[in-house]
Amino acid sequence: MGNIQSISYFLPELMVIATVVVALIADLVYSDRNSYKVGYLVIAGLVVASFTLWLSLPEETTPIFLNTIVVDPFSRIFKFVFLLATFIVVLMSMNSDELKGVRTGEYYTLMAAMVLGMSLMASSVDLIMVYLSIEIVSIISFILAGYLRAQVRSNEAALKYVIYGAFSSGLMLYGLSLLYGLTGTTKLFQLSGSISSLGPGSNLTLTVSTILMLAGFGYKVAIVPFHFWTPDVYEGAPTPVTAYLSVAPKAAGFALLIRFFNTLFGTGQPLNSPVWQAMEGVPWQDILMVLAAVTMTVGNLVAIQQKNIKRLLAYSSIAHAGYILMGVPVLSQEGVYAIVFYIIVYLFMQLGAFSLAIVVSNRYGTEIIEEYSGIGWKSPYLGFFMAVFMFSLTGIPPTAGFIGKMYLFAALINGGSQFYWLAIIGVLNSVISLYYYMRVVKVMYFQGGREKDLYVPGGMSAAIVLAMAIPSIYFGVRWSFLADWVNSSLKFFIAGF
Amino acid sequence: MTIGVTINSLPVINSSTSMYRDFGTSFIFVLIGIILVAVPLLLQRILSPRRKTAEKMSTYECGEDVEGPAWVKFNIRFYVIALIFIIFDVEVVFLFPWAVVYKELGLFAFVEMMIFLGILALGLAYVWRKGDLEWVKYSVPYGRGRYRKLTIIEETPASPAPAPQETAA
Amino acid sequence: MTGSFFFYFFAAVTLTSALLVVLNRNAVYSAVLLVFCFFSLAVIFLLLEAYFLAILEILIYAGAIMVLFLFVIMLLSLGREKAQEHFRYLQRGLSLFLVIVFFLSVLIIFLSDSGILHQPHGTFTAGGVNALGEALFTKYLLPFEVASLLLLVALIGTVYLAKRKV
Repeated sequence: MGNIQSISYFLPELMVIATVVVALIADLVYSDRNSYKVGYLVIAGLVVASFTLWLSLPEETTPIFLNTIVVDPFSRIFKFVFLLATFIVVLMSMNSDELKGVRTGEYYTLMAAMVLGMSLMASSVDLIMVYLSIEIVSIISFILAGYLRAQVRSNEAALKYVIYGAFSSGLMLYGLSLLYGLTGTTKLFQLSGSISSLGPGSNLTLTVSTILMLAGFGYKVAIVPFHFWTPDVYEGAPTPVTAYLSVAPKAAGFALLIRFFNTLFGTGQPLNSPVWQAMEGVPWQDILMVLAAVTMTVGNLVAIQQKNIKRLLAYSSIAHAGYILMGVPVLSQEGVYAIVFYIIVYLFMQLGAFSLAIVVSNRYGTEIIEEYSGIGWKSPYLGFFMAVFMFSLTGIPPTAGFIGKMYLFAALINGGSQFYWLAIIGVLNSVISLYYYMRVVKVMYFQGGREKDLYVPGGMSAAIVLAMAIPSIYFGVRWSFLADWVNSSLKFFIAGF
Repeated sequence: MTIGVTINSLPVINSSTSMYRDFGTSFIFVLIGIILVAVPLLLQRILSPRRKTAEKMSTYECGEDVEGPAWVKFNIRFYVIALIFIIFDVEVVFLFPWAVVYKELGLFAFVEMMIFLGILALGLAYVWRKGDLEWVKYSVPYGRGRYRKLTIIEETPASPAPAPQETAA
Repeated sequence: MTGSFFFYFFAAVTLTSALLVVLNRNAVYSAVLLVFCFFSLAVIFLLLEAYFLAILEILIYAGAIMVLFLFVIMLLSLGREKAQEHFRYLQRGLSLFLVIVFFLSVLIIFLSDSGILHQPHGTFTAGGVNALGEALFTKYLLPFEVASLLLLVALIGTVYLAKRKV
């Protein structure tokens, strides 16, 4: 579709851009003390953007802006995920003590811009657009990680992030350039056509190019060999930013990964066909399987040793990336379905756990797990919900995390016997994660004094925690609504096949 | 997309022979430039006598003794200015191909470029408002009457010797 | 014939200066050598008939970005790098090993895959400013506009992070 006609399909993103512009102008007007008000503007903008997105036709699949990005149900559901995550994190940031006394106008503006970057990541079908959108998300992540300039910890986080980021984006660019060199086009659809006509002589090149590109995607998603930045960045960044980074860019990375591999290295079946074939000759399926296994194992094993709740959640988020990655090489509708379902569920439980960590750090001034002792008795509200999130993250039955994991494992088992070993490793890893998640619960309830001060956090913080906890439980009991929605969203734009 | 115009193909210099002629000429000029510098340097190295004494090797033969290295810490302000410069340098680079195809694309390209420039002008407004274009920073209390509480921020010099900073600019 | 001579000559200059950038202990010399590297890269772009890119290479990389690098070097007051007292054999060995593996795999790719040595499909027209402008303002309109947002975000971020007053 042409550039001018495309604009009407681009309205939600345009709303986000308008939000960025308005927020930036407002930031110029507000004084330092009032700059937090930009946050309200951003929230309003996100609501408007969500509304516009809701009004857009859900079944529409069309490429816009001359095949640079597409509008389809798959990107639509991810855009909702980004908007929701950003919305929650902006609210969380407003109630975080860490960001008090710091000028936050730029902070909220950048968050709004991040939504745009992630939306483009989820919908781009052009190598240039892929790279640009990844760069937008990366650059904003660097800045947000180092937002607390006065803290050495935050600075260190930003610096490490930048260095790893530059390195991995360099590798990815090299991979993309190999692809371009082989095919002479940057459009994903044309690329997949050219690749299938290349013949077996180019398989090695394609494999190397895949690995190099995986470095870029894997960096965003924090898959294991590219995860080194995660713990330091997650620990050093302001807690709301950590929560954000561990959810939203990850989801965007997975959206991109799925689209990329389905379009490029599949044989062109639509996403909702029960099984899609992988291209012959390039062992990307095996590569992804091994990466998934290594990712969750490393994430979990290192998470056991963590003493800081942020670091614990950081490493466990690596493990979760591993779980989610299991769904990609299955190459079936079930696999992708499980991934999207898990990402949505993961959003609620991860953001919930982080928002509780913020409340605890505001109230008791600690991020050390051992110092959580007795919180379960001191503040039953915090204790109960932390336990809910920990149960959900582990995947214990009456919670949403269980349903998410169940779908993932079911997809693996139904995928065929070559995935059994991966499923077994996944289950073993869930057992490992049980240990460290339950330790948090144990410390809260079975250690320390049992004095009661019946602390209930103030309005907004309590509301965020509740808003995250309800879906975490509700989707564990009744998930048919979410399941239907995810199922109806498994539709890519597919050209010319 | 179709925007109702076709790009007239201009006579593009495409054959490699003319490229070698064009850039060959400039290459020869570059070579001559290098030779003009290198040969005199080489000549003086060969011809001039060299007798090193401690006096001669000092930085100022009949001046103050040098204290500390010549490399001093620059003010961070240079860095910010350089960053801003790069961003707008990149912007200007985009203007160049725009100017070339402007005639063919007309209003459409104009609107595109205005959006592009508008977004970047916002960046300029940001930098301006935050006072990063001022060499000496004033803290202007935002929104409370212009220049009412104008104060110069006391800034400790970043380096022991601030004088070379000025020359480096 | 002359083309390949020039190519190999400037490729050698690029590689040598790039190597010297890494090996040199003096950060300022490294920066200047990097300028040299960029210049010879620009010539290679010229040989590929990518005239605009060649100019960009000099204008942005050798011009603006090198100035930034030099400022950073001066900002940090990096003089001569002191030789590391604890020579980390394992680290160096590993990195050398990885570099060799990477280099060999690239070499194998180029030797084994006949496809990659071919000319890109279709006619190559990206070299001139004309073709570039045309592509940029029609085919790649969205990336172009998004690039402005990227620049804006980068500007805000760097200015925010580099400011001294909190």
